[in-house]
Amino acid sequence: MRSPRPFLALTAIGCLSLLAGCGGGGFAGDGQERPSGGGQATVRMLVNITPNLTQAYWDGLVKPFEQANPGIDVKIEAPTGKGVADTLPQQLAAGNAPDVVETLTADETLAKQVLDLTGQPWAKDTPLAEQAKLGGKIYTVGVGVQAQSLVFYNKKAFEKAGIDQPPATLDDFDAVMGKLKAAGWLPLQTGGEFLTGLQLLQLSNPSRAQTLPTWQQDIKAGKVKAGESLLPYLERYRTWIDKGYVDKNALGMKYADAETAFLSGKSAMYVMGSWFTASEAKSKKDFEVGVFPAPVDKGQQYPGPQGATMAAPYMILKSTPQKDAALKLVRWLVTDPAAVKSQLKQDGNFRAGVEREFTPLEKQVQQILDGAPSGVPQGEGYGDATLPKGFNAAWNTEVQGLYVGKSPKEVAEGVDRWLAGRS
Amino acid sequence: MTLTRVAPLVTTTVARQKPRRRDGWVTAIMVGPATVLYTVMLIVPVGLALYLSLTDWDGFSADPAFVGAANYLDLLDDPDLRRAAFVTLLVAAAGTAGLNLLGLGFALLVNGVSRANTFFRIVLFYPHVLSALVVGFLWSAILGTTGAVNNLVTSWGGEVLPFLSDPTWATITMIAVLVWAGFGVNVVLYLAGLQAVPHSLIEAARIDGATRRQVFRNVTLPALGPSVTVNIVLSLVTLLKTYDLVVSLTAGGPAGQTQTVAYLILWNSFHDARLGFGSAQSVLLMLVTGALAFVVTRLRRRGELAVHQ
Repeated sequence: MRSPRPFLALTAIGCLSLLAGCGGGGFAGDGQERPSGGGQATVRMLVNITPNLTQAYWDGLVKPFEQANPGIDVKIEAPTGKGVADTLPQQLAAGNAPDVVETLTADETLAKQVLDLTGQPWAKDTPLAEQAKLGGKIYTVGVGVQAQSLVFYNKKAFEKAGIDQPPATLDDFDAVMGKLKAAGWLPLQTGGEFLTGLQLLQLSNPSRAQTLPTWQQDIKAGKVKAGESLLPYLERYRTWIDKGYVDKNALGMKYADAETAFLSGKSAMYVMGSWFTASEAKSKKDFEVGVFPAPVDKGQQYPGPQGATMAAPYMILKSTPQKDAALKLVRWLVTDPAAVKSQLKQDGNFRAGVEREFTPLEKQVQQILDGAPSGVPQGEGYGDATLPKGFNAAWNTEVQGLYVGKSPKEVAEGVDRWLAGRS
Repeated sequence: MTLTRVAPLVTTTVARQKPRRRDGWVTAIMVGPATVLYTVMLIVPVGLALYLSLTDWDGFSADPAFVGAANYLDLLDDPDLRRAAFVTLLVAAAGTAGLNLLGLGFALLVNGVSRANTFFRIVLFYPHVLSALVVGFLWSAILGTTGAVNNLVTSWGGEVLPFLSDPTWATITMIAVLVWAGFGVNVVLYLAGLQAVPHSLIEAARIDGATRRQVFRNVTLPALGPSVTVNIVLSLVTLLKTYDLVVSLTAGGPAGQTQTVAYLILWNSFHDARLGFGSAQSVLLMLVTGALAFVVTRLRRRGELAVHQ
């Protein structure tokens, strides 16, 4: 009696050959030409989808471009993972990378996969292009600037607590929180998820940048320890938890809940980036929101350097079979006046020399940006000032440790240990 | 009647004796689709994970370097993995106990033919139909610091309950939500087991004067042995892979205290761009899950044999 094993083996070999044959997989750079039917070039653009930047918004944004360029079809793609940062590696691994990617900025890892835009005459005039250079090359171009180190405040709460002047130093900031607490307000709104660590980075940018202007580069060079250099801010934050200036149960709140809590008047101050102005404009409330630049250490220049990140950054993947069409699209997205204005307005961002309809709060943010002596990278940073991927998240986890019993020193050591493990 | 019954048997016997080659091809064709699926869904991904675990691939570069066992050695020295492994084992152990106790308990309650029982079975199974992401967001809206429960508590003058802001509370909350979302499946599996218990055995025990508790302990429970094994192994394997509920309920917080191994794998792989290291963690998780499932199955089988003897 013959065993059917040879047949089974044959079937298995057939299956494996089939798999090898139809392999869509492989590492990025395998770059196969994607045919575009009927002479039509399809540019696939992976974008971030948020409450402000919906799929419908993106589709509407690129419509005028498609009308002006009948041979180009733009396909907006939403992340299939948690976000663009998770989706892009998956698509690269599957050999299915998009042509254009929005949201991420180039670092040493990504730069190998994206197009060098240094030779494009329009690229150097885009916001923060110079600061985001990596090894002297431009890989990422953006639409505008996001101001990071802003403190939004409830004017009614300040009035009731008898505060007539926003604080300029961190000591004044502590005193203001004391007054607000005494007047029955929760002084500072924070929350869980990524918010805890982000706010402390935003708040510390202007003073940290005055003592350590090349912080990220110094950390990379081993001259400075990240946690150790931020220890004074961690110690200060710890006192805020102990004194009840922040809610000790804040970690049980999501980012959106924290924003809602501030906008519904439950807290007096909220440290956030300029994109918050878009949410503020849409909310209904019975108080006015004001904004001031994050305070600095005693004796430092105020306002200090403003934490600044690129708004709506774009990159073109090297593997794109539609290089010309992708270049045309990205150029249009970052230079066309109507497209730029639309994107700035939609996500509450700013760009020098671009006039658009401002809300009163946006006007104040623009003034803060105009008055800032410089813009500095924040946390993980960008361009040559980039820390290892995941720094912001590791920092956030450690800062949250302050709420669950870790000492500031332990938190600082945790951050430095994480960085040492990634060096 | 007798002739028609015998005839096909004879034909089958003759057919078996003749073309064995054809038999082999038929088997191959029948097994083919399953082999393709098995290869695509299991062998290829596992093989790829094994290969990637020996490289320093960041998810972006085209030329990952071979690093040998470096990623596996790093695992030994990773405090995040140690913490996540503890949380995962705790979730798996407590969750498996919760899922099975509730599953069996409710199965006994709704084990009868009536309209009410049908309704309750649907209600009990319903949470399992929801995506784990939806379940997480739903419960965070209920139990968060500004959630429905805390709003009620504070409006009555009470203190905020730290369901999601205290590490211990958050871990217990996560386990409770996992059990809530999953025990419907266990109810269904136990119901199937209960309905397979021979009624004659129960009748005989009752005639012999056994109380309801004695019938359950000495007749129903031993007869449910295979169901218990399946339920425990399925619960354990599912809970060891807990990921999406962590994302939507706690986001791994507070302070990373509710991160599970699966969450950490995804985080390291895609967020920190360390796919090689993440793959090594995946291989480890796969081995641990397989080993635990094997041990539990062996222990249960030994127990079942002891009962039958």
